[in-house]
Amino acid sequence: MKKIYFASLFVGAAMFASAPAFAVDSTGCGLGSMAWKGNSGIGPQVLAATTNGSFGTQTFGITFGTSGCDPNGRVSGGTGRMMLAFLENNMEQFALDVAAGHGETIDTVAGILNVDSKEFGLKAQAQFAYLFANENVEAVDLTLKVLQLA
Amino acid sequence: MLISCLKYLRCLIASFLFFIFALSSAWAKVDFAYSSEWLALGHYQKDGKGYESTIDTPNFFLSKNGKVNPKDELMASIDLFESENNEQKCLFPARYKLLKKNKLIKSSLPHCEELEKFYADLQPKGVTFLFTDAYMNSPSSLFGHTLLRIDTARKGTQLLAHGANYGAFTGDNPGPLYPILGIVGGYFGGFTVKPYYDIINTYNNIENRDIWEFELDFSQEELDFFVAHLWEVGHAQSRYYFFTRNCSYMLMETLDAVRPSLKLAQKFAVQTIPLDTVKAVYNSKGLVKKVNYRPSRQNKIKNLYKQMSETEKKCFLQTITEQNYDMDGLSEEEKARVAEAAYQYVQYKYVARDLELKDYRKQSFGLLKVRSKLKNKEKENATFGEQNSFEAHDSMRFTWGAGVRNGTGFQEIAYRPAYHSLTDDNYGFLQGAEINFLNTTLRHYDKDDKYVLQKFELLGIRSVAPIDAMFAPISFQILADVSREINPDDGKEGYVANLVVGGGGTLALHDNFWLFAMINNHLAYGGFLPRNQWAGVGAQVGVLVNVGDWRGLAEAEKVYASSKIGAKNIYKGEVVYSLNRNWAVALHYKYQQNYGRDIDETYLGFRSYF
Repeated sequence: MKKIYFASLFVGAAMFASAPAFAVDSTGCGLGSMAWKGNSGIGPQVLAATTNGSFGTQTFGITFGTSGCDPNGRVSGGTGRMMLAFLENNMEQFALDVAAGHGETIDTVAGILNVDSKEFGLKAQAQFAYLFANENVEAVDLTLKVLQLA
Repeated sequence: MLISCLKYLRCLIASFLFFIFALSSAWAKVDFAYSSEWLALGHYQKDGKGYESTIDTPNFFLSKNGKVNPKDELMASIDLFESENNEQKCLFPARYKLLKKNKLIKSSLPHCEELEKFYADLQPKGVTFLFTDAYMNSPSSLFGHTLLRIDTARKGTQLLAHGANYGAFTGDNPGPLYPILGIVGGYFGGFTVKPYYDIINTYNNIENRDIWEFELDFSQEELDFFVAHLWEVGHAQSRYYFFTRNCSYMLMETLDAVRPSLKLAQKFAVQTIPLDTVKAVYNSKGLVKKVNYRPSRQNKIKNLYKQMSETEKKCFLQTITEQNYDMDGLSEEEKARVAEAAYQYVQYKYVARDLELKDYRKQSFGLLKVRSKLKNKEKENATFGEQNSFEAHDSMRFTWGAGVRNGTGFQEIAYRPAYHSLTDDNYGFLQGAEINFLNTTLRHYDKDDKYVLQKFELLGIRSVAPIDAMFAPISFQILADVSREINPDDGKEGYVANLVVGGGGTLALHDNFWLFAMINNHLAYGGFLPRNQWAGVGAQVGVLVNVGDWRGLAEAEKVYASSKIGAKNIYKGEVVYSLNRNWAVALHYKYQQNYGRDIDETYLGFRSYF
């Protein structure tokens, strides 16, 4: 009898202990009100991205939706920095859109680059093997290649 | 003499005029302090004879008693903008705009670096109200969620826009008490901004929830005012109450601040259900100009699957189960569709933690390679007849009806403040999801002419979701109620508190014909019971049918229990016909076997939603 009782309690508790989704940030970095403060930016990463690309950032497949970690939670900065932040957080969809030659992330990236999205989509699809050479694509490498492609 | 007299007169008139002017200007200020614009901007709500602001942090108020005194706050605000305190001025750009527009101040806003950076990042072009539908796996998301999006003028797409989310700051490890604290105001809530692509990833791709986008018809002036006010409330916080002053409520007050004539917040004095706020926004005249639908990843996959021919479907299932990417016999276009759907499916599996990172990468790249060699086909904008949540039935339900129980007639009324049951019209709702909250049933029995509380349902959650070749969701239920029951030993009636927690699976024999089975834990407590309690395990099967305006639900459960009163066989049937979205007729039948004290009950009820 006690077992049944505890089992029920456990199931109930587990339900309630699942992600507190009314909270501000159930998946991201929990920056909360940080989003409203000034920023120091992700400068170092961009620096790395525009110099030798050795700064390790996220790779394909572990990036989904984890970006609550943007330092100020805002789309910010120049082309390179914006591109890196965008690709880091949208790599899975971007990979598919490159393979297909069109899509929302292609339109977005073309917008950041200020180029025609249809042409860019065709070019990106033709260069799929270059942009995504293997399974371990890194956001920084990809950003450099995409910037080059435009 | 005459001259000096004239001078005197002139002086008198001048000072009189000045006095009148000063008086009228003071009066104008008093008037303005209670104008809908100023009250809405300060988030003031009527509180008895006076006012109180919903905002709780002191930094939002310039006057000591600004939280309860709109007039003092206005005076202090005017003083601020006539002062040299530039740093503080930069925190209240919307107040500045409003006071300036009403000619209550003369100064101009100083150079505000952070604020200008905020504008520069957002590049505002419009405002969109967002609704994400229910997420059954988290109790706090059962009713859906709402956010605001500041559309961007940036080149590209709205992925680069920003969402403004109002939520409770629970900290990283909220602990076991968080649901209670969330309900009683134990947390502070505030706004945060995030890129829209982040929001899409969270809701569409991780939690698999659809997003509805309602583009608001704001003028340039309203847009500027909105962003300025967002900056103001972005620095402030309020106590968070899950059922009332929650994420959705705060958005109502924020929209009111921009357009006071909307009067949205006052519609939610008792409870704030996100979907109800969506309806309020959608039905506000001249507020919404366009509605867009952004399906969850799961629905994207389902929609792609629906579009496929039988050969494609077969090939798709082979692709996802055997990782065979040849797709022999398919045309280029078909291959592309299969590869894209399969790729999305691999992402889905990985997010659901059903796939190792290594396999995930291998499969993703395998499919991308296939897709990249196929032609670039123009995007097709297929619609799938998605049902608009904002046209769903209303949240509150009142039922009245009459029936016969073991040969005795009875009449019944029931009131349910929220939200949706399996047999309610499920247009716009997640099919197979049920959330009943505080459902209360009163009955009058003819035999002994007495009125009784038949049942008080604190909470009833059920998720009946079919398992198919692609998805394998768990079906579950949690029911907590107090109900009137019969003791089979002596035939006496009394009240019992019940908790039922169960889980199982659902099979769809057809799109509209579902079969489910669950194992349930039963706990019962009450002074009326022998030894005050019983516990039991039940095996339950059911059928859920959904055809046009008709819904049917049949259930059978056998309960093994520690007490005779708990051990019973229950057979229930329910057939409901919707007259329209907010009216329905329901026929119930129940047969319960319990040691000779059987209950045989038939009941016809009218359901009204409001």
